[in-house]
Amino acid sequence: MSIPYKILVCIKQVPDANAKIYLEKTKPHYDEKTVYVINRYDEYALEEALQLKDKGLTHYIHTISAGPDRIQKALRRSLEMGADEAYHIVTGDDDCAIPYYVAQCITDFAKNEYDIILTGVMSQDAMNQQTGQLIASMLGYNYATGVTGIQTNNDVITVTRELDAQTSMQYALKIPCVIAVQSSSIIPRYPSLSNVLRAKKQHIGMIKPIMSSQVQYHSFYTIPQKTTECEFIQGRTDQKVVELYKILHRNAVV
Amino acid sequence: MCILIIADIKNNQINPATAELFTAANTIAKDIITPVYLLIPCNDVKITSNYRPDVKTIVIGMSIYNYNAQGLSKAIASIAHDIDAHYIIGLHTPFTIDFLPSISIEYNAHCITQVHTIQHDEHLTFVRGSCSGKLDQYIDIDNKPVIASIAPGSFDEYIADDTDNSINDTINDTINEVTQITIAAAEKQLCTFITKENKDSSLDEADIIIGVGKGIGSKDNLTLIYNFAKIFPHSAVAGSRIVCDYGWLPYSKQVGITGKSIAPRVYIACAISGSSQHIAGIKGAKTIIAINKDNDAPIFNISHYGVVEDIFTFIPQFLEYVKRL
Repeated sequence: MSIPYKILVCIKQVPDANAKIYLEKTKPHYDEKTVYVINRYDEYALEEALQLKDKGLTHYIHTISAGPDRIQKALRRSLEMGADEAYHIVTGDDDCAIPYYVAQCITDFAKNEYDIILTGVMSQDAMNQQTGQLIASMLGYNYATGVTGIQTNNDVITVTRELDAQTSMQYALKIPCVIAVQSSSIIPRYPSLSNVLRAKKQHIGMIKPIMSSQVQYHSFYTIPQKTTECEFIQGRTDQKVVELYKILHRNAVV
Repeated sequence: MCILIIADIKNNQINPATAELFTAANTIAKDIITPVYLLIPCNDVKITSNYRPDVKTIVIGMSIYNYNAQGLSKAIASIAHDIDAHYIIGLHTPFTIDFLPSISIEYNAHCITQVHTIQHDEHLTFVRGSCSGKLDQYIDIDNKPVIASIAPGSFDEYIADDTDNSINDTINDTINEVTQITIAAAEKQLCTFITKENKDSSLDEADIIIGVGKGIGSKDNLTLIYNFAKIFPHSAVAGSRIVCDYGWLPYSKQVGITGKSIAPRVYIACAISGSSQHIAGIKGAKTIIAINKDNDAPIFNISHYGVVEDIFTFIPQFLEYVKRL
């Protein structure tokens, strides 16, 4: 449990922000043209791991994701960005997987093999914001969420956790630990050509998921109810311009 | 059975929005008289807000400077067990969400996060935004306790009322009773707080705020938004988190759960889709106007006026129109 660290980065594949979504009975359904990408916060988590690798603190970055076959594209992308090995927990095509179950699957895979487990602070689609906390608690590791900075000094990892736009908290985490990374001004890297070529030949490990979780709930989805009755301004663009001006005038801001 | 409310902490004091959780607790209790406990996670925070001192209060014997999520969540789980809490609710803020889900591990329970509505008719159902805010997820759990984080601004602040005896009467005998629970020294961390000085109060003072999302495309394109803002006296420009991450706007201009909450007379959301993270920060705005080319954008669900247009065609025409006036 020292340098070089063994690092696991948990990534989720999500529909990109422009994806069209439909309700199929009471479950979300994305149309076939949907483009899937790595969850934006997980890219920041992977970038933090890669920066530790750049500093020579690890040469052992594994990525893991749970989901159907399509998620291999996201895992491949993580290899292209610079991860060393990728593992796929083969679960069904269920966009509404319960975070507790996903955390159990990852915990079962990670066991006590890793010094640092990184996750994004949440997924941009489901926004549950708890998988990192659950993995840490299942493993009994120290953890921090909403992390915007990781400093290392030998065996001490100091994290900066963002509380709001003005305030952050800083403390040292004992290894092994789980860190859930918030997006920040570091820009996740693009894959280098050499990594892209290397990743092509790489094998992605297939992992059997654990049996279904004992934690179950009833859940269904609907189109959100409107909290306000939005009055859509109608007409041609120039008519909308005039109408919006009138509204702003009525609200005494112009 | 009882309801355990976790006080949120902001700037070393109890976050006044904690009062919203008492309203949420009333919705959970409905017609059944249910004791409510308030748990304060640290023993050295200022108690300044009107958070209902009439409820039984439990204080964790941990300094905020020794914060440790693991120790705290275990302590809360053990308290919840002792008082037979069927519901454990906290605010969905970076502070509380750090430890709240971990409580569920002790129970093999489930934590429902970012709840914006609680429905209590035949069943008790928690509603949260999912699929980037495009759908709502309704969750109904049989097992107890149910652990939930409530999005700030989803419930009105609770104001004690003489006619309301749903909660007060049963706990009169325990008024102001404070129990201290200590955390093992081994679980204490040494924390420092960093406060960025922010002299920028433009978002607090503006009458009208123009918000901009990733759809603006580049820092250069922000000129369009600045020109739009110039039309209005007392205006300011704000952005979603991603706009600040890209460095197009400073973080002092970020609006949402991890940024600022704003309350201008008018908020105009330009090319902002309206994730729940952002929406939580704009609920104080009196009038919300959204300009977005996607008529399905969730921002329209909370807007008073909607303009389905591309900002790059609409705003220049608007500027042209104002110039001619």
